[in-house]
Amino acid sequence: MGLSFGTKAPPTALSGEVVVSGLGKSYGTSRVLSDVDLVMNEGEVVSVIGPSGAGKSTFLRCLNYLETPTEGTIAIGGARVVAGGKRPDKSSIDHLRRVTGMVFQSFNLFPHLTVMENITLPQRNVLGASKEQAQEVAERLLKRVGLPDKAKAYPARLSGGQQQRIAIARALALSPKVMLFDEPTSALDPEIGLEVLAVMRDLADEGMTMLVVTHEMHFARDVSDRIMVMGNGGVLEIGPSQQVMSEPQNERTRQFLKAVLDR
Amino acid sequence: MDILTQWLGWLPNLAPGLLISLQLTGLALLFGFPLGLLLAVMAAAKFAPLQWISFLVVEIGRGLPALVLLYLLYFSLPDAGVTLTSLTTAIIALSWNTGAYASEYFRAGLAAVPLGQKEAALTSGLRGWTGFRIVILPQALRISTPPLAGLAVLVFQGSALAFVIAVPELMSKGFEIASITFEYLSVYLLTAVIYGSITLVFLALVRVLEQRLGRHLQRN
Repeated sequence: MGLSFGTKAPPTALSGEVVVSGLGKSYGTSRVLSDVDLVMNEGEVVSVIGPSGAGKSTFLRCLNYLETPTEGTIAIGGARVVAGGKRPDKSSIDHLRRVTGMVFQSFNLFPHLTVMENITLPQRNVLGASKEQAQEVAERLLKRVGLPDKAKAYPARLSGGQQQRIAIARALALSPKVMLFDEPTSALDPEIGLEVLAVMRDLADEGMTMLVVTHEMHFARDVSDRIMVMGNGGVLEIGPSQQVMSEPQNERTRQFLKAVLDR
Repeated sequence: MDILTQWLGWLPNLAPGLLISLQLTGLALLFGFPLGLLLAVMAAAKFAPLQWISFLVVEIGRGLPALVLLYLLYFSLPDAGVTLTSLTTAIIALSWNTGAYASEYFRAGLAAVPLGQKEAALTSGLRGWTGFRIVILPQALRISTPPLAGLAVLVFQGSALAFVIAVPELMSKGFEIASITFEYLSVYLLTAVIYGSITLVFLALVRVLEQRLGRHLQRN
């Protein structure tokens, strides 16, 4: 089988909804992510914090193969991909993307499609849903994110906060097992960001498994179960949210939290 | 003699030429634009030979003046055992020329669609041809429309070159009339008015189309 996994054998028994093991990424000789491990249980919310350039977004984007990791294994909700060696087959990557929903910093709604089409077209193409089924799901989700009257609007007519809530609805429409958020409020002013955070909080309360890269320290502390602190391409520490915020173990974490909280 | 009466008298002779010009332009666009899109997609392909083919076809099509391309095809194809009418030869030459230029406009349009759109398509399960068709292409086409409309005008005007390989289009009909009546200036002034007015009407229509295509971007 000629595939090498570095020094580590991949985990054989998969417990948990998300099992990431030894994940790394290098561009030539420069190493942007190294040896990241993370196990998340169903319904768990983990926030990823840390300074710019720490590898937070790269880590998140490796999980659905928007970035190609160069080593390690990713197992999410039944999908499993081993990185490194040759590129994994398309169907494993499709599977990985199928079980994850992604929310981007810049929303990335499809600007030429109405809100309704943004939410229904993926369902129709990926799930083979009928137009009626897809619209029913979309209407339910629009209510859930508090925008039931925006179905016919084009994204350009909506505020940033509304666009991001629509983007969340679009991701939820494919019934992902895990939601990935890449700095979902960083492009929004603090007040508008709150409406997005409120939707995310509801989602967490409903038991969605969520991995959130964020600079929102209140959200990290109050909503997430655990906080993972990244720095320099690796994990500095990970632990229960309150504990990481109040008694960080790592010196670099202390420095970062002081800088963020003293603003 | 009043120039308008003179022109009205010539119109019946020019009309079949104009029809040929429009037909030639229409077919060159009909074949050239899809060819251009295909070449643009090939240029971005991961498989290197596709890139080379695209490069070669585009650089020949753009590198040679349309007139030279017309002559080369007109005189070389019969030697290669292919006998085509002069109209067909002109259609091929102008389609090639159009496709080569159009490919650059399509390429620019495709490149101008933000990377985030492709990523959102992928994470929404819209990959490959489906994602291209639903997400990327419509946005690229809107961006490419104004330069493509400009190209369409150039092709219409360039269709006059087919005159040199004896395609009976508008210019050649004008030349016929001029060589009988010796009213060169008057005849060519009339053809100028015809080319110009069709172009202006076309561009006005394109402006309406552009507004429709950009409707979704208006904020209120």
